[in-house]
Amino acid sequence: MDIVVSQLMTGLSIASILMLVALGLAIIYGVTGVINLAHGEFVMLGAYVAWALQAEFGMGLLASLVPIFLIMAAVGWLVEVLVISRLYGRLLDTILATWGIGVMAQQAVRLVVGGELRYVQMPESLSKSVTILGATDSAYRLFILFVALALFGVTWVIYRYTNFGLKLRAITQNRAVASSFGINTSRIYRLTFAYGAGMAGLAGALVSPLKSVSPEMGTTYVVDAFMVVVLGGTQSLMGTLASSGILGELSGYLAFYSNDTIAKALVLVAIVALIRFRPQGLFTAHART
Amino acid sequence: MLELANVDGFYGRSRALQSVSLNVEAGDFFSVLGRNGVGKTTLLRTILGLMSRTTGSIRLDGEELVDQPTHKRALAGVGYVPQGRGILPAFTVRENLMVGTFAAKDGGGRIAEWVLELFPILKEFLGRRGGNLSGGQQQQLAIARALLSEPKVMLLDEPTEGIQPNIVEQIENVLIDLNRKQGLTIVLVEQNIAFARRASRHFAILNRGSVAVGGPIGELSDDMIHQHLVV
Repeated sequence: MDIVVSQLMTGLSIASILMLVALGLAIIYGVTGVINLAHGEFVMLGAYVAWALQAEFGMGLLASLVPIFLIMAAVGWLVEVLVISRLYGRLLDTILATWGIGVMAQQAVRLVVGGELRYVQMPESLSKSVTILGATDSAYRLFILFVALALFGVTWVIYRYTNFGLKLRAITQNRAVASSFGINTSRIYRLTFAYGAGMAGLAGALVSPLKSVSPEMGTTYVVDAFMVVVLGGTQSLMGTLASSGILGELSGYLAFYSNDTIAKALVLVAIVALIRFRPQGLFTAHART
Repeated sequence: MLELANVDGFYGRSRALQSVSLNVEAGDFFSVLGRNGVGKTTLLRTILGLMSRTTGSIRLDGEELVDQPTHKRALAGVGYVPQGRGILPAFTVRENLMVGTFAAKDGGGRIAEWVLELFPILKEFLGRRGGNLSGGQQQQLAIARALLSEPKVMLLDEPTEGIQPNIVEQIENVLIDLNRKQGLTIVLVEQNIAFARRASRHFAILNRGSVAVGGPIGELSDDMIHQHLVV
């Protein structure tokens, strides 16, 4: 019994991190159509901001979460204004540009703070273990799960129940029609990009105490997050939630019976096989256009 | 009220509209006629700023729109019923109508009852997805959505195309009523000459992206129809 619970919790822990990274990616792609290859670097920068706030100003991780979101949202906003806003509708160019931004961000971090590994302290109050149904788990991993679900909830409410969300969903269906009814699409794209970058930054900050912080750390996360988005489809937030859950549990389960590397390879094979039969992803809405 | 002077509209580098000048008076019902591909839809898209580039002058109540982005033109009072209706398929009827209210003067959020009274079927189907409506229902929804934006001038692109005859008649009567009773200024792109004759006060015929001929609807002669409209 406790092995089952412990496996389940490991899977949920992987899933919560996957979702934190993938949510921003999925929102940005779903709304603006930009495949943001710099997303992993937004995650990495978030982790470095957490490290810098701790090392330079002695701020605890919990206290820095809101500033990290705001700082990374500002970075995303700036990237949108300076680069992305000039490239909408040019898929290949945005891929190249965001990849370039990612490379520059990695090198900039290397130049400014150096390439060595950095460590972020876990909040003291969360460094204990807790026991659930006979299985022990780290309180911090549960905290990440909780924060991931809370952020998903906030995003869901904005998306479904606010006028801003309605405008956002209108644009994803038909940009020309949306702007013909007074919706300022450029402004909404900018805010979406900022929000997605802010979410990525939070993901980076939250994983920073679990793994060492390095300039290359974003790459692994962004690959996993892309798999979540491909599996879940880009039309629904619920798809992102569900596919994070599926991939997290699947990776956890496979890693338990083999190892991380084989688990990752098998998950990739499973996704390739799945998109052969459902190229639009698992969770997509059907409506006549 | 809506004045176009020497307007050119471009798709990329190709000029699809060439020095078009039009003057639509307040309360007018203005029909834009012409064969397929002469630039009727392009004209409406140009007025809304949905082209890659537009030059010349487009004034609405004296306000210059030609350099404004599309959403500002909508807020300035241009209502739009696009070709193919432009219903957002994943949205419910209610959500589609909400989108219309965003261009209203007070920023919207409320669906005015009188608009629903015009099209009772929409009231019945408020919770249904736009993509699951029939063509005629979608057209009624598109007109209701444009009305909710409280436009000074409403641009309609072939609102009766591909729709079952009983709904065509209803839509025609609603448009004529809106113009005659509420004084709504309407610019109609139409292939259906009988409807244009019945509804309009003025007309313009486009040919190869320019105005070939225009004037009061009484002057629309069989000769003109033969020369510019009959296929």
